[in-house]
Amino acid sequence: MATCAECSFFFQIPENYSDHEPGKGDCVTEKKDEKGKYWLSKPTFADSASCAKFNKSVNL
Amino acid sequence: MVQTAQPIEYRNKIVEFPLDNPSEKDIPDEELHEHLAKPSTDRTRRLKARCRWKHASAGEFVEKGVRAGIERMRLITEAHKASNGKPEVIRRALGLENILSKCTIVLQEDEFIIGYHAEDPNMFPLYPELSFMAVQDYNISDYAPQPVSESQEIADYWIPHSLQTKASKYFDPVDLGRMFNVSTMEAPSFATGYNSVVPPYETVLEDGLLARIQLAEENIQNARKEMEKSPWDATTGLEWIHKIDTWESMIIACKAVINWARRHARLCAIVAENFETDPQRKSELLEIADICERIPAEPCKGLKDAFQAKWFTYLICHAIDRYASGFAHKEDKLLWPYYQKSVIDKTFQPMTYADAVEMVEMERLKISEHGAGKSRAYREIFPGSNDLFIFTIGGLNRDGSDGCNDMTDAILEATRNIRTTEPSMVFRWAPEGREKTKRLVFECIRDGLGFPSIKHDKIGTEQMKYYAQFSKNNNGATDEEAHDWANVLCMSPGLVGRRKTQKTRSEGGGSIFPAKILEITLNNGYDWSYTDMQMGPETGHAENFKTFEELWAAYKKQYAYAMDCVIRAKDVSRYFEARYLQAPFTSAIDDGCMELGEDANALSEQPNGWHNPITTVVAANSLVAIKKLIFDEKKYTMDQLLDALKANWEGYEKMQKDFRQAPKWGNDDEYADTIIRDFYEDIIGGVMAKIVNYSGGPVLPVGQGVGLYMEIGSRTGPTPDGRYGGEAADDGGISPYMGSDKKGPTAVLKSVSKVQKNQKANLLNQRLSLPIMRSKHGFDIWHAYMKAWHDLNIDHIQFNVVSTAEMKAAQKEPEKHADLIVRVAGFSARFVDIPTYGQNTIIARNEQQFGAQDFEYLNVDL
Repeated sequence: MATCAECSFFFQIPENYSDHEPGKGDCVTEKKDEKGKYWLSKPTFADSASCAKFNKSVNL
Repeated sequence: MVQTAQPIEYRNKIVEFPLDNPSEKDIPDEELHEHLAKPSTDRTRRLKARCRWKHASAGEFVEKGVRAGIERMRLITEAHKASNGKPEVIRRALGLENILSKCTIVLQEDEFIIGYHAEDPNMFPLYPELSFMAVQDYNISDYAPQPVSESQEIADYWIPHSLQTKASKYFDPVDLGRMFNVSTMEAPSFATGYNSVVPPYETVLEDGLLARIQLAEENIQNARKEMEKSPWDATTGLEWIHKIDTWESMIIACKAVINWARRHARLCAIVAENFETDPQRKSELLEIADICERIPAEPCKGLKDAFQAKWFTYLICHAIDRYASGFAHKEDKLLWPYYQKSVIDKTFQPMTYADAVEMVEMERLKISEHGAGKSRAYREIFPGSNDLFIFTIGGLNRDGSDGCNDMTDAILEATRNIRTTEPSMVFRWAPEGREKTKRLVFECIRDGLGFPSIKHDKIGTEQMKYYAQFSKNNNGATDEEAHDWANVLCMSPGLVGRRKTQKTRSEGGGSIFPAKILEITLNNGYDWSYTDMQMGPETGHAENFKTFEELWAAYKKQYAYAMDCVIRAKDVSRYFEARYLQAPFTSAIDDGCMELGEDANALSEQPNGWHNPITTVVAANSLVAIKKLIFDEKKYTMDQLLDALKANWEGYEKMQKDFRQAPKWGNDDEYADTIIRDFYEDIIGGVMAKIVNYSGGPVLPVGQGVGLYMEIGSRTGPTPDGRYGGEAADDGGISPYMGSDKKGPTAVLKSVSKVQKNQKANLLNQRLSLPIMRSKHGFDIWHAYMKAWHDLNIDHIQFNVVSTAEMKAAQKEPEKHADLIVRVAGFSARFVDIPTYGQNTIIARNEQQFGAQDFEYLNVDL
């Protein structure tokens, strides 16, 4: 099963942040509705099972 | 074309009133407001066009797609379960930390001030720990959080932990039943979750949160040393326990807020580097990221920092840690040091005046799309609005110098340009205030925004001094600090600054409804027209009263009963808030809480116990009519009156006409005004002032209307002022009843000025002639009017300047009138967002025309 680590929306939290933990990252997604574009960020972990928004990272 | 006023003969010459802006002659009167918005940049034009308004009308959200989110309630509940057994104040801090570390962060295109309080910009959070009933209310609505089953489980979880459960047992169920009917008095505050707060923004902007953490750590170290002193003294030593817990909670909260802000920084950087294609926006996002890395951890260095730090603080104190209505701060004073650095000195975040105006416009739009998870009842009583957002500008500085500065002007100019209903604004009027700024105030009013409302600077400052003498720790406002005040919500002034601000709603207004109280007074405390319940003590049947004084005494007892119930509920709420709903972040940024190791809900240094009588003038006019027609002239008997009222005047049309035509408030009528002055001073303010509230001071009236003049009007039967049952009541705390002020604008001022004792925060709503205000003499006339208002020692006034033709056109074609704004009560609303019942009450307000006698009284030179 795919994990967050393989998703293009997963961004590892750098070590200099107080909420840094090994494998912890920000899941950042873009949304658009009739009022315009916006981006959402939620914490997740690299080994979490991927969700419906999964988008395979091309950098892997 | 926009109408012009008829010429008037004044001081032996004919005065014409040509339009100040001649190009308006080409604009139809019915669409004037649609031509007044002028966003200062393309960006603010776009932001306004895509603003995610959260206005409600008759309790329903106007825009599709607005609904409650579940994220916050899920996270606060998760933390509460996980922290069982820890000190309550630590549990509250851990709750905030859990929300801020796990919540969704939102960034929208085009915005420069960033941050939101729910998982989607179309949503708003709920607060089950404040009011499980409000969550239950949402669960059965179209705006329910999803999944509803989880939301219901969460609401159920909080029932035993709620303020309502903890506080209710100290009240007679009969009293509670009367309160929940919201007809003579408001529902108990421990059930509604409605709150207000004045965050001490200054400490965040000036110190930064890292410095606050350091202070708390030093205080803990000192406390531990004190506890270890020999010989041990329990009488003082044990006091340190809860203080240490409180300081620890502050540290947890501040660290959580810093981390949350830096999550925003990361998001901006990620979007800039991975999503954004426009190089200019990319660069801007990286600038915002830099700001959020530093702010609010560190002190602000420039104006962009200050706007962002203020917004983050606002979100935490008003919308994430707990819900609190309002936007209380003195914005021009707070931002002035940063304006100087960025606009004048250009030492950090250099910008022009026009850039500062754009920042204000962007902030106004952030507020405009802020959603509040209020219950349906509270959505209904603020028709057309999101919530109450009011800040203050102007007035005098601590040293008595003019408090207006270029930041004040930027705020006013942006407000006039962007033309949004929120946030509303108060201008503190002092004779020393500069005319340049007063002209901008006038332009906002002339253009129909309904704000700034105007508060009398000196009266407000004296009120701060008055309340200071009751301070429980002898640390109320000093004479200098008394100058630093802003309106807490629509009406009541309260301190702003680094400490002594109002933190919770045991201070500040709740509501009591004099018109309904009069109705039950006539019927031995029984409410025949709405609840069919005994709503107050048995004070006698009106038909048995031999004198007017007996009626007066009975009314006084009914009013005192309701007042006691409401303030007792507020104070019992606060007792439990201090023990179970602590606010560690708000405490951390208050110098008093930090110094003393006390929670913001518990510590009271400056009493500020205001309360809202709403519908006073219907009661007052009714008493005048009763005294004149029954006791003085004996034209009718009380039995006849009671029969007529029970019949809603049907079959008693002549009698209704007589009672309708009895002298009314607002006409400088000595008979009416003497009774009504005594009513205000002896009962409305006098009875209230006998109460001592949580903070040790008296409670004083801040009479106004919000939307309750409509809601309570609909719950109040026919009244002896000639009003039919269900008709709206009076719309301001001391405003004449709509349409009954027939002697011109200066007669209204003269009537209102007669009320002085115990009474200095009642609201006067006036609707001024649009053709005169838009004429070339508009400012001079208004300025002279304001001078008269000031010299008559009246506290608070606000204006509608809108034509009946335009309001009626908007009723026919609402889609063409999105920018038509009106003043409802302590807030403004887009006219088309107000239910028809409310729209009609605004149309019915008398549009004051100025005649020669008014100009003479005002001594205006035309």
